[in-house]
Amino acid sequence: MPPEHWQEQLRRGMLELAVLLAIAPGRRYGLEILRHLEFADLVLAEGTIYPLLARLERDGLLAAEWVEGQGPRPRKYYQLTPIGRARMKKMCEEFRVVAGGINQMIERVLGSRR
Amino acid sequence: MTLSETGESRVRGYLYVLNQSLRASGSAQLASDALREVESHIRDRVAESTGMPNEREVLEAILQRLGSPATVARAYSLEMILDEAAIGGRIVAVFRSLFHAATTGVAGFLTAMLLFLGYSSAAGFLSIALLKPIFPNNVGLWLDEGVSLGGRFPAPPDVTPLGGYWIIPICLFVGLLILIVTHRFARRWIARLRERIRTRRAALVR
Repeated sequence: MPPEHWQEQLRRGMLELAVLLAIAPGRRYGLEILRHLEFADLVLAEGTIYPLLARLERDGLLAAEWVEGQGPRPRKYYQLTPIGRARMKKMCEEFRVVAGGINQMIERVLGSRR
Repeated sequence: MTLSETGESRVRGYLYVLNQSLRASGSAQLASDALREVESHIRDRVAESTGMPNEREVLEAILQRLGSPATVARAYSLEMILDEAAIGGRIVAVFRSLFHAATTGVAGFLTAMLLFLGYSSAAGFLSIALLKPIFPNNVGLWLDEGVSLGGRFPAPPDVTPLGGYWIIPICLFVGLLILIVTHRFARRWIARLRERIRTRRAALVR
């Protein structure tokens, strides 16, 4: 597998968790969520984030509502539901276990070469 | 930045194509909501692009980052179709998911073909059960050229199908059994495919 492809797969796998984490602090609209993902270097073809948000909403992980009057135009705001928050916590735990294990392996291999 | 008439036309053109693509995927409600959200996104991006003199370049960059209308619509419809098939189990949604799955690789293609074969066999048996009372001399078990089950229109001269109306409950039972088993397997398989796609194809990464 070419390195770029692996990198792409890795980021795609992280996307759902990253979206949930971006929304966790409070209500956010699409572009705000994208800015957080850019900050985390999860740069996306921006239009595809909206189908993902729509699916998370259908799955009951997010609640969404159109809000008018809080900006120059109506925006669809998303927030985590209790199910979404529980799912995010579970995903974080799993991610920490995996990332911790990988980090240890990296340290063993690369750390010893320093 | 405020868009000129040309810029507005470009945005309207993008949204028009997106709307058409989304409606083709089946849900008017989804299309309306998605269109509103994407338009809001474009206009927010345009508004924050201050100090950039070339409107055309700015707009093209925004639309390029957004992805083509077809890409966005495809991402929406794929999520919808698989959800509908796995959760709702509607036969049309299952078939559309199978067509999609058949393009994902060799294993996907073979499994989809197997499932189509299952659905076709079920349809065949059920058709025999349905047509036997209407065309008793054309539908049934034929033994003149080997053994075959089905209908012949017109019926060959001097040959009548074996089996009387007893073939109806048998074909009905076998057809329904194959249909139920195939449909259950298809839904489970699509649900697994959906989970896999969730992690691998939730979005396109540049």
